[in-house]
Amino acid sequence: MSNTVTVETSKKSLWGGGRSPFSISYGKLMMWIFLLSDAFTFSSLLISYGFVRYSFPKSPPNEIVQPFTHVEENFVEQMQQQGLFSSEHWPLPELVFNHFPFIHGLNLPLMFVSLMTFILIFSSVTMVLAVEAGHRMAKKEVAFYMLLTIFGGAAFLGCQAWEWAQFITAGASLEGNPFGPTAFAALFFIVTGFHGSHVFSGVILNIVIYLNVLKGTYDKRGHYEMVEKVGLYWHFVDLVWVFVFTFYYLV
Amino acid sequence: MEHTEHLEHTEAPADMKKQIWRTFWILFALTIVDIALYFILSPSLPKNILFIVLGIVKAYFIVGIFMHMKFEKKFLSSMIVLPMLFICFFIWLALTEADYTYWLRWLFGK
Repeated sequence: MSNTVTVETSKKSLWGGGRSPFSISYGKLMMWIFLLSDAFTFSSLLISYGFVRYSFPKSPPNEIVQPFTHVEENFVEQMQQQGLFSSEHWPLPELVFNHFPFIHGLNLPLMFVSLMTFILIFSSVTMVLAVEAGHRMAKKEVAFYMLLTIFGGAAFLGCQAWEWAQFITAGASLEGNPFGPTAFAALFFIVTGFHGSHVFSGVILNIVIYLNVLKGTYDKRGHYEMVEKVGLYWHFVDLVWVFVFTFYYLV
Repeated sequence: MEHTEHLEHTEAPADMKKQIWRTFWILFALTIVDIALYFILSPSLPKNILFIVLGIVKAYFIVGIFMHMKFEKKFLSSMIVLPMLFICFFIWLALTEADYTYWLRWLFGK
């Protein structure tokens, strides 16, 4: 008799087993744990950046180059002569990131990275809309929003490839940097590269999920939780970009 | 054979779609504010702190609404968010050492 009572109370208690104490499934919980560990990885990369950056003197203020003005071909050499680009101090982001595709010779500081940020935020929105449609079991809507998310991710990767190409043509590498200290370029490539590889794997995962949605895998399963799990990962990638944007382009 | 699984999950609020778009516009506006502040204010420590605070606000909206954390169990959200406090300690540690390295550079050059 008393035995039965014990069993019943243990079923009701939160940590008594037989149910998830977090009210989420195992897979989603593990995704959260993975994201926590990934957050530590990105944090250590960004903190290394902070360390190196803080150990260098600040750049002198830019009073020469105004936004929306013409930029000469030898802009980098000019900046080096003016003392704005030097291996002695950290460069100003507005002078390093001032290019825009198809608009050559115009100083457009931070415009391109802002566009990249908007693309990523928007793809995050389409992802969460896919999750929301999944709750309603609306297969067509999930597929539509997943496709938009894939396009957003691909667009972001394209932008990043273009920016890397800009950087490399200017002469920046892991071993040298015309804009400032070598560590500036090395950290730029490593952190944006690591983030980009996350976006890339996110796009691959999104494509897999998209194909499964089309096949009707989740319809048969009775829920679209897989979309949620990949969605968590995708939002995390967006979250990391918020901080990469803050520390590389604004601070 | 019917293949369905029962899943435990916390319910999304009824007006989720509205909340998603509202969050999008908040993130959009905050990014615009970021860029505007970059050009309006001259480089200084308070400006950098402002950028970091805005970044954390954006993170709150992404994690809270997009990642659904606001509607999850308290225990889960604290399990994920509280370990981030170690990061604050790590930042303080790294910047203190970086300051020392700054003066070493100043003293010995490069």
